[in-house]
Amino acid sequence: MKTLSLSIISASLLAAMASVSAPATATDMKLKHDSEYVIDGKIYGLPEAKVYREEYNGPAVVGDYLTSVPHLAKLDYEGNKTHDVRMDVFSQQVEVAPGVSYSAWTFGGSVPGPVLHVREGDRVIFKMKNRSDEDVVITKPVKNGAPFFQQIQDNPYQKNQPVINPMPHSMDFHSGTVAAEDKWRTISPGETIEFEWIANYPGTYMYHCGTSSVLMHTAMGQYGAVVVSPKDGYPTDSDVDHEYVLVQSEHYLEEAAEGNYIYNHGAALDRKPSHVTFNGHVAALSDTPLRANEGDRVRLHVLNAGPSGTSSFHVIGAIFDRIWYEGDPRNEWYGMQTVLLGASNSATMDFIVPEEGIYKLVDHEFADAELGAAGALIAGPRQQK
Amino acid sequence: MVKWLGVAGVLFSPLILADPVLVTGGTFEPPVLLDKQRLSIEMNSFMLDATPVTNQAYLEFVSSNPRWQRDNIAALFHDGNYLKHWDNNTAFAQGKENEPVTYVSWFTAREYCAAQGGRLPSLNEWEYASMQYRQQQNISDNDYARKLFAWYSQPHSKQQTVNPNADQLMHMHDRVNEWVDDYQLLLSNGDDVDLLSGSCGDGARFMSSFTNANYATFFRYQSRSDYAPQSTTSTMGFRCAYDLENHDE
Repeated sequence: MKTLSLSIISASLLAAMASVSAPATATDMKLKHDSEYVIDGKIYGLPEAKVYREEYNGPAVVGDYLTSVPHLAKLDYEGNKTHDVRMDVFSQQVEVAPGVSYSAWTFGGSVPGPVLHVREGDRVIFKMKNRSDEDVVITKPVKNGAPFFQQIQDNPYQKNQPVINPMPHSMDFHSGTVAAEDKWRTISPGETIEFEWIANYPGTYMYHCGTSSVLMHTAMGQYGAVVVSPKDGYPTDSDVDHEYVLVQSEHYLEEAAEGNYIYNHGAALDRKPSHVTFNGHVAALSDTPLRANEGDRVRLHVLNAGPSGTSSFHVIGAIFDRIWYEGDPRNEWYGMQTVLLGASNSATMDFIVPEEGIYKLVDHEFADAELGAAGALIAGPRQQK
Repeated sequence: MVKWLGVAGVLFSPLILADPVLVTGGTFEPPVLLDKQRLSIEMNSFMLDATPVTNQAYLEFVSSNPRWQRDNIAALFHDGNYLKHWDNNTAFAQGKENEPVTYVSWFTAREYCAAQGGRLPSLNEWEYASMQYRQQQNISDNDYARKLFAWYSQPHSKQQTVNPNADQLMHMHDRVNEWVDDYQLLLSNGDDVDLLSGSCGDGARFMSSFTNANYATFFRYQSRSDYAPQSTTSTMGFRCAYDLENHDE
């Protein structure tokens, strides 16, 4: 009887809590448009995208939480936030290997494009102008631009140079849940698209151009990562010493003139890449290795952008202590030597740096490693914490 | 047919301006099946400019049609960048006379062709001419595909001159992408417009065979169809087509 009363009490307490928390949750969700609704705490029903023309020649990447790979901006706010993000689309000559440059189609001027960091539940108001028919310089100081620019300028390993190559483009954020034919629609050179999405699910997500031929548009360089940190974090957050973003991708290039390469669609269809890179250059993470110290917990957000290959991601000398497949904290694995990522799969993974030394990061599909999918983390001596 | 051949003979005689040239009718097997029920199309003969329209030719047009000059054109007919590479209404930089005119919208291209007594070619006409050109020039399918993808991925060679007096089709694939009258691709599924043709990587349903050449052609169709009729870019130009009857007169 006593047990029964207790359970009745606790049940009514739960009910009371539920009735209190239900409206509070709705308020917290910050529904903004009449069209929006909530299922399982996630917001859907965003308004239609707008496409228009604007006189804009300001910074091509705008937003406090946009960085260049391998950097990840720190989320210095509590709870949720609305992010005003701009990432223009334009062409850029980029180097992917010593002496190998091509006229890339890019978001923000680099391959991969900028990393966007938000928190689960955040709203993103996204703007993108198709500036593919104009010169856009990203290697000179930019006022009111994202931290991305300073990081590119500190380490311009792709030797980014503006080129003009007009082409219709679009933006498809895997981190958004929307009607693709609306938000991800293609815009012509000179047009701007503006739409919103909610970071409903935590994880590391690909974004890319979805304009046909999507194989060509992605292989030409139009992809990047969005990191959506879980609202309650990962279990090891307080122990993490360093956090980096890696984007693996294949390049299908052939030489057209000395040092000047062009896209090879036949090779892309045959899945025979000329180069496979981490962060867009065969030497990105060996010329500028990741840094940590003995005993540190290092967290990597690894995205395999493809467009068509897989990545068997491995760190030589380490074992992944925790792995959250696709970056969702509910997809937790332990103790893995290699994490297999299909095209557009990702994983967030922690490992302990066992000793001072050099830890090579590789795609353990060694044909890919031989084509460039290799880098390094250099660990210094153990620090007192 | 006899009449057309006669016309062709007249047009190829040196007394007549070398362009446009005759594209002889025949059976066209489209590499991209805009209508999956039509695997082949009977094409009539028509005339087509040998090269893309040049800056010089376009200058003559706007000089005699001031309302199509840069400062006079109605806003409705362009995206704000019409002829933006010209110095002013009736002048462009020296040495660019024989470069294909670019920064022209579909509307203005149509108007130019109408003023010449012609029209923009239909998509099928243009592609049919492109096939004949590949055969005439003996361009292998793989060379064609490489050349086309190279052109799309590499902007450096785009503003080269053309020979305005060419007596056969030239520069179909290596100067500009060209407006055609029905450029806005509406892939059909029987009587219905296909709703999925704009999304990722599903072109295969519309390809007659998965050759590199057909992928290259599909890319031309698809990338152009994403433009608005007002769009003007540094890579879009055009050439005109003419019905044989008009030239017979």
